[in-house]
Amino acid sequence: MPEIFKLAGVLIVVVGLALRLRTTLVVLTAGLVTGLVAGLPLLSGVGAFEGVPVLTKPGQEGIINILGRAFADNRLMTLFIITLPAIGLAERYGLQEQSARVIRRVSAATVGRLLITYQLFRVLMGILGIRLLGHPAFVRPLVFPMALGAAESEAGARSVEALPEKEVERIKAGSAASENYGNFYGQNLSPVQAGILLVYGTLNSPALGYAVSLWSIVLYAIPIAVLSVVVAAAQFFLLDRLQRRRLAVAGREDAHAVVE
Amino acid sequence: MPSWSSIASAIFSLDAVYVLTGLVLWVFAALNFRDRDNANRRGSALFWFVLGVVFIFGSVTPHWLTGLLVLLMVGLDGAGRVGHKAHAEGTTKSGQAEPKGTSLGNRIFLPVLLIPALAFGVALAFRFVGGDTSRGALVGLGFGGMAALFAGLYLTKGGAREAFAEGRRLNDSMGSVIVLPQLLASLGVIFAASKVGELIAAGIKGVIPGESLFLLVVANCLGMTLFTLVMGNSFAAFPVITTGVLVPLIVRPFGVDPAMAAIITLTAGSTGTLMTPMAANFNIVPAALLNMRDQYGVIKFQIPFALTMWVLHVLVLWLMIRLL
Repeated sequence: MPEIFKLAGVLIVVVGLALRLRTTLVVLTAGLVTGLVAGLPLLSGVGAFEGVPVLTKPGQEGIINILGRAFADNRLMTLFIITLPAIGLAERYGLQEQSARVIRRVSAATVGRLLITYQLFRVLMGILGIRLLGHPAFVRPLVFPMALGAAESEAGARSVEALPEKEVERIKAGSAASENYGNFYGQNLSPVQAGILLVYGTLNSPALGYAVSLWSIVLYAIPIAVLSVVVAAAQFFLLDRLQRRRLAVAGREDAHAVVE
Repeated sequence: MPSWSSIASAIFSLDAVYVLTGLVLWVFAALNFRDRDNANRRGSALFWFVLGVVFIFGSVTPHWLTGLLVLLMVGLDGAGRVGHKAHAEGTTKSGQAEPKGTSLGNRIFLPVLLIPALAFGVALAFRFVGGDTSRGALVGLGFGGMAALFAGLYLTKGGAREAFAEGRRLNDSMGSVIVLPQLLASLGVIFAASKVGELIAAGIKGVIPGESLFLLVVANCLGMTLFTLVMGNSFAAFPVITTGVLVPLIVRPFGVDPAMAAIITLTAGSTGTLMTPMAANFNIVPAALLNMRDQYGVIKFQIPFALTMWVLHVLVLWLMIRLL
């Protein structure tokens, strides 16, 4: 079979996710198909399976064995389940409400300043190894309304309707982006987060055999994390400037309309 | 009689933390099984029970058996048997219980902060006795989770039953998605064993002269980002690009620190995640959550940031290889 057919698994993921099929099922199917196309047997021919035809091939590790080995090795990435009872209890006794109170205390005069502040908060959560579903927990109920409020007070507008819809859309997109920026790059600053554990597990696996420490991986994540905050700050402050200019133009046109 | 140090090293081992995590999963499984409001209670309970088995026995069971257990879990999820489903006639829904009126203020952060504090603390302690600080951080995470639970119970005067019910609520709200990073990493390992990375590397070698470090860095980051764009996730792409491209074409020939090169390659993938609708949870769901006109509005906002970051990844990786 031509080598290129090995990319069938990639195609399965693309089509499966586009059709919104169960992600776990899509991922597993992609793995099985890719392994079979590459000519791997289903099972290793050792122990009870020694010499079994069709299912095994001498001297080759089976797909099911690889799956089991990789899944067991990567238990590290799911270890955070052990923290769920403690986090759940804290949530029951007002963890999110108190976090919201802390965030609300931030008095950021502009949209850009608010968004970069939220991103820094998110980076801090990452450093502490705390996982959040930030979009439903903070962005929708808190960050976006606060950003909208900042934009309105700056524009001197009296109500939501007074801000042009395009501006509101940009504020929505920026609010969601600040969560993603802070989450993606902040989480690599803690040795117990999934990305760092993936790098650790992959480099230390027998296939590569490097002896790498979690802490050195975290150390080398710092430059990019710092740059992500700098670039985001530039984008958010540019958003502020352009917004001010557009609103000023809109305001002048309004004034003209009144005069005429 | 076993020595104190061997007892201590058994307690403060990664396997002990895996067992604790597995026991927590078994409690979640039991709570699911007893939840008569859930038409899926059997499937859900079995899913979490099996994951618990993998956690507790995964270091000793043969890999083919673990592999079959993973197939069983995915089969259950694929058949729609995992997660909450109301009975046809029932109208009950299980949601978060009303938060209790709180007078705890900022003290509610204390148990949660205990988790990272112990992760760092145990890592430091391991360093002190000459152990592996990486393992220390993970053992600290495990014991931190337990310590935070006890501290939380003391602080809130709540009960263990309440804590595990809330833990189960969090667990079930994520559902099978919890094992997705682990499963994607496994997919990456299967891809790597199928030599998909070599396929990509062969393509790269075809167009780039082997001695140009800068172009190889560009190709490595581009491969990682494109693969992530297509798959919607950097976790499956990472093992493929690392074993197929990064290590054989850059780390080995140029004698580069693998930790440095690997983490920068992973986050080069994150720039791809910011630009792809395949990463629906991060890019499409939030647009819906915010009632945006344009479902791609978040992605469009993120593209200039992601492209800038991508260029910076190439420059930082190249500079660090040159300077270190």
